[in-house]
Amino acid sequence: MNGSVVRQLILKDLYLVRWLIVGAIVAGIPALALMPASGLTSYVGGVSLICVLIILNIFLVMSGVVQERKDKVLLFALSLPVSSAQYTAAKVIGNAIAFLVPWIILTVAAIVVIDATRMPNGILPFWITVLVSLLLYYCILLAVGLVWDATAAHVSMITAGNVSVNFLIAFLLGLPSVRTNAESQTAVWTADIITILGIELAAAVVILGTAVYVRSRRGDYV
Amino acid sequence: MTEPVIELEHVEKSYRFFRLSDVCLRLDAGQIMGFVGPNGAGKSTTIRILMAMIRPERGTVRVLGHALPREQAAAKRDIGFVSEDMRLYGHATLAWHMRFVASVYPHWDTKYADVLLRRFNLQPDQAIRHLSHGERAKATLLLALARRPRLLLLDEPTTGLDPVARHEVLTELMDVVQDERRAILFSSHNTQDVEQVSDQITFIDRGRIIDTSDKETFLDRWRRLHLEVPSGVTLPQLAGSVDATVSGHIAVVTTQAYTSDLEGAYERAGVIVRTVQRMTLEEIFIATVMHNRREHAA
Repeated sequence: MNGSVVRQLILKDLYLVRWLIVGAIVAGIPALALMPASGLTSYVGGVSLICVLIILNIFLVMSGVVQERKDKVLLFALSLPVSSAQYTAAKVIGNAIAFLVPWIILTVAAIVVIDATRMPNGILPFWITVLVSLLLYYCILLAVGLVWDATAAHVSMITAGNVSVNFLIAFLLGLPSVRTNAESQTAVWTADIITILGIELAAAVVILGTAVYVRSRRGDYV
Repeated sequence: MTEPVIELEHVEKSYRFFRLSDVCLRLDAGQIMGFVGPNGAGKSTTIRILMAMIRPERGTVRVLGHALPREQAAAKRDIGFVSEDMRLYGHATLAWHMRFVASVYPHWDTKYADVLLRRFNLQPDQAIRHLSHGERAKATLLLALARRPRLLLLDEPTTGLDPVARHEVLTELMDVVQDERRAILFSSHNTQDVEQVSDQITFIDRGRIIDTSDKETFLDRWRRLHLEVPSGVTLPQLAGSVDATVSGHIAVVTTQAYTSDLEGAYERAGVIVRTVQRMTLEEIFIATVMHNRREHAA
């Protein structure tokens, strides 16, 4: 029965954010359409794509995790026949699916746009690294939302996350391997890029895993 | 003897400014226990421990035969929990909530849910955020009752309700316990509601259970005696006396151990018993709390 309850909790979370998922995908399409253009238009397209995923990230965590707790809807969810650990698992899986579906669709679409248009494929490693950093940002914010109740923690994390994306872009564009290969017709996956991608993905798994562990072991849920 | 529905033994939980101390509680099938205490007494903390939402530092908790928190999922299959501050998903409709809860509980009673919709005059297609406080309270109660739980844990379910809504909710609770296998723990600081529906009463104050008994015993053993103490006679301190106010020759004594022998004891001491008044549950509650606080302060 419990597997079924966890599944229902996941489906419930996906139902409640369904328009957010659709909205992110719909908003990402014009952003992607602008990217192959030149100059400022391309820049606006790229920044818009990043903004769409950041906004999705913040809305999902704040409405699905933080607000549920603050509004005492959590009392209703925890009155269902699940353990605290199962509730946490359902919350993380449901929330992760809600972010990953638009993230994967927009990431694949970005690859297709870069590959199929006159954009140089050499920029692909840069974009993939930026998009994976947004996945890491999502995992960190979800972890903070799961573990900490204080609004100050959430606001601080959102501020730090938004600022960090700018620093990451500046850092990536400053890497010689990225700068050199950005205009080439083929994507060059240098050791720098592979290392950064590896760190981002490993950090995402470790941070989220730690948050789930901490949350599940905490005795008091309300 | 059948296994109790609720069994708390020596449960303790500490917060920075509050401590739940040595709580022992037992509720059997077919009983409605009124769990009465002032604001901040520990009612909600106790009930949330019973729902495994809060983990006690010491003591054992068994609900419907399941040890908590380890077997909380199994226990919650047969518990309906409603709390005054519980909220539902504001953007979803009541019908969606009913479908969601029905998908989780195999014993969901669709016919009963429809009956409750009509009795509570709720519109299933209305979004929760558009419901009034009273309608929201009735909606959460509907979602708990239609699961057909063996145990209902109700944390101040009537707080903030208008008299009609309160009557509707209390009437429904009276109906629920017609089934003798079911039990209700009903917390409130409104003693009128508790007196109306409960057959067991437990008082809690400042994190401690200060008295527990069946309602009739409570009402039978508490009395307020109006006495006349003639000159030269000293008012005797009889067992069970929790409060005595003396003004000139008139004394008012509150006792928690009333028997017909008590009047004779006063008369033998030369005191004239003018009247003996039964007390309401509210008066008993206040007297118990104040007596307990004085004893702890002494």
